Amino acid sequence: MGVFVAVDQVEKVFDLTNGGQYLALKGIDLTIQKGEFISLIGHSGCGKSTLLNMIAGLDLPTSGVVTLEGQRVRQPGPDRMVVFQNYSLLPWLSVRENIALAVDEVLDHLTPAERRQIVESHIDLVGLRPHAHKPPTMLSGGQKQRVAIARALAIQPKLLLLDEPFGALDALTRGNLQEQLMKICEAQQVTAVMVTHDVDEAVLLSDRIVMLTNGPGSKIGGILEVDIPRPRQRMAVVEHPSYYSLRSEIIYFLNQQKRVKQLQARRKPAIARHGLEKTNLEIGFVPLTACAPIAIAYEKGFFAHHGLEEVSLVRESSWRGIVDGIAAGYLDAAQMPAGMPVWFTCGGHEEQPLPVVSALTLSRNGNGITLKKEFAEQGIRTLSDFHRYLLQTRDRPHRLGMVHASSMHNLLLRYWLAAGGIHPDQDVHLQTIPPAQMVADLRSGSIDGYCVGDPWNLRAAKEGVGFTIASDIDIWAGHPGKVLGVREDWAMAYPNTHIALVKALLDACRYCADPAHSEEIKQILSRKAYVATNPEYLELGVDQKGGPVHHLFFGDGVNRPSRTEHLWMMTQIARWGTIPFPRNWVEILERVCRVSVFSTAARELGLLDIKYRTGPIQLFDGTTFNADDPISYLNSLKIKHEVYMAEIPLNLPVPRAA
Amino acid sequence: MAVASVRRNGNAHPLTKFLRQQGADFYLPMIGVIGFLVVWQILSSTKILSLPGPIQVFADERSRYLIFHPFYYNSPLDQGLARQTLISLTRVAQGYGLAAIVGITLGILVGTSKALNKSLDPIFQFLRMVAPLAWVPISLAALRQNEPAAIFVIFITSIWPILINTAVGVREIPQDYKNVSRVLRLSKKTFFLKILLPSALPYIFTGLRIAIGLAWLAIIAAEIVMSGVAGIGFFIWDAYQQNYVTEIIVAVVYIGAIGLILDRLVGFLQSKIAPANR
Repeated sequence: MGVFVAVDQVEKVFDLTNGGQYLALKGIDLTIQKGEFISLIGHSGCGKSTLLNMIAGLDLPTSGVVTLEGQRVRQPGPDRMVVFQNYSLLPWLSVRENIALAVDEVLDHLTPAERRQIVESHIDLVGLRPHAHKPPTMLSGGQKQRVAIARALAIQPKLLLLDEPFGALDALTRGNLQEQLMKICEAQQVTAVMVTHDVDEAVLLSDRIVMLTNGPGSKIGGILEVDIPRPRQRMAVVEHPSYYSLRSEIIYFLNQQKRVKQLQARRKPAIARHGLEKTNLEIGFVPLTACAPIAIAYEKGFFAHHGLEEVSLVRESSWRGIVDGIAAGYLDAAQMPAGMPVWFTCGGHEEQPLPVVSALTLSRNGNGITLKKEFAEQGIRTLSDFHRYLLQTRDRPHRLGMVHASSMHNLLLRYWLAAGGIHPDQDVHLQTIPPAQMVADLRSGSIDGYCVGDPWNLRAAKEGVGFTIASDIDIWAGHPGKVLGVREDWAMAYPNTHIALVKALLDACRYCADPAHSEEIKQILSRKAYVATNPEYLELGVDQKGGPVHHLFFGDGVNRPSRTEHLWMMTQIARWGTIPFPRNWVEILERVCRVSVFSTAARELGLLDIKYRTGPIQLFDGTTFNADDPISYLNSLKIKHEVYMAEIPLNLPVPRAA
Repeated sequence: MAVASVRRNGNAHPLTKFLRQQGADFYLPMIGVIGFLVVWQILSSTKILSLPGPIQVFADERSRYLIFHPFYYNSPLDQGLARQTLISLTRVAQGYGLAAIVGITLGILVGTSKALNKSLDPIFQFLRMVAPLAWVPISLAALRQNEPAAIFVIFITSIWPILINTAVGVREIPQDYKNVSRVLRLSKKTFFLKILLPSALPYIFTGLRIAIGLAWLAIIAAEIVMSGVAGIGFFIWDAYQQNYVTEIIVAVVYIGAIGLILDRLVGFLQSKIAPANR
């Protein structure tokens, strides 16, 4: 299986009527194997049809080459037959004549009888026998497109190119045609490239889905492999475990593209005021109970009080949105899972170290591990029960959901599993799922359990689809949950703004920790702009009995960033192979943990007596984590991914150009 | 209620029923025509217009003879109006036919070649604006004979709409069809027969329909100026010279009727060969 079609560094520039130029596509690299079905998906105007036309030869790339079986594509030809969106049937010819026109012209080496036979067999192939004599104007849209497909297949092209073939059809017809096309392609081993807007269509039909970013200068933003086995059935594919994750991946991508466009349009230059370098901030958050400090700071005017007058909150449905926002720089600051600053700095994102700093821990605790209800019915109550169950059912895949590789959910879940003798990569399968989707996935049975922040544990329990097998308090009481993260270059460009931001959020944390405010906070969080859930699912867990508190927002040792904790997370992320363990870990911790910013902010707020914890971390399995020697600690662990060490090269801190 | 109204309809006289149904299509045009004739008659009887009224036209001996004897023949210049019309129509057929052949051919060439279009379009636009009558002296001077000169005037008048519409039709072949032909690598001949011609046909017919009207207009003008050739245009000129105004009016009715028939004829062909609702 060699390369069949190769698109190599293709770029396309259009001349505009006003004399300007428009860069439609840039740096497109794509190879297609024989027999593969590829979909191109992206927003309108992203150049996906242009790319298809360049493969067809209807359009030529401004630079770069397209090859078919090693031959450069310079002009269109019948070996790359196109099925156009608007059918492109000749209205003055009947169905049969339309197909025959193509067959007679292209397969002219065959005898007329053979050609007629091909025409007739393709009329039957698409089931248009009763309409063969009619002109296309007398056919419905779906029938017309079937003629176009029959015409395309009849000339036996090496490559079938489909330009939004079902875009203009109603849903029912579209479904039927997709199924027909899929059958034909599978039966005849057709290599095909299809442009589509329809996410489900792409997943159903394709082997690979190529996602294009928005123009100008569209690039391939990602390629998804569709691992659903063939032959596929439209009604059955939705039950495949990959279906929804593929689907949500594409939708995430498309939404993200739209957002980037909006945020870039909204992006204003820094507005300096009140001695702050930037008072207009875009702050990202993910709807969870733990986003309370950010929501409260916004709603109760803490941002404005500290001079940040034009804060807008950007609600991301998954941590990935936060990652992309920080990496692309369209978010100024964000609520992050506690491990994310270290993960960014160590090159967790696209293997590019991006220094991100944290000067405030926003919340502690608030997470839990939920398993599906059936396990409780089978008597699984503890970690060892679960381990025994896994050993008994090795033949079945067990999927557990978590939200991000760098989040405490992932680290705690893995730690918890490993402590019980379960290897989180070998004995179970961990899947990244947006928090708000967990309950739905658990209900549909595509996952067996998850570790996530509230309200999603409580909600699963209250809705009777799952039960909390372990709360984070049982694993590590008082572990950091969410932190405030900003890019290091941002922090250097806007130092006073950074302090003001920490002050505003610290103030908000204090507000959240007051039991007198909990009803108000629940009301605010339940709104659509935040968690959008029933207030009864929101449990702030304010301390009443003096025991460990479910959500800790403020207090001694709560908010000050701790090097020991960040180091623990660094060892855990490295333990599972997500990042190498940095040889220069001391330097990295120094860079990530901005204690001085926190201290300044606390002092300016008059919180002079705030205490902080020092010393080792105690975990539920009796292990004590000592910050002095992380490498021996890693070596002492039995269950782990292969850990490798590397020097993480960090550029000297440079403030971002304002 | 419904039953009663059905009965009332059912009992109505077939003619009233017909008239009720055809009301708008039949009555109104009739009322228009009769009104026009009445107004004309009033204007001419009150001497506001010095033209004879419809009653005089019918009463006048010469014009009545013309109306009731369309096919009489005395000499080449003295024959029935139907014969005169036929002679003019033959000329139109020749000039128009030539214009159609040359116009469609040139139109296709200009439509397919951007360079040709750029270089010839100004000339076409310029010549198009020259009135038919202005061509008469030029064609007479160039061809020196009445008959070919008359045909040339028709040709040169009616070629422009054909040519320009054909060119537009060819240029406006939908990109989809062109893409199909490019992908299939259709031969020039197949492309011409299966795509270009059928696709441009509605435009060509629009041109032909405009041109037939112009050709008919032009022949009258040409014959009036070229004395001594038989034909309805010359007939009018001759009648004018001899002050037989009623004869002129009869001939004008002929011209109008023929023009209308020609237009409808091409329209009919168009609806048969190239229906518009493709």
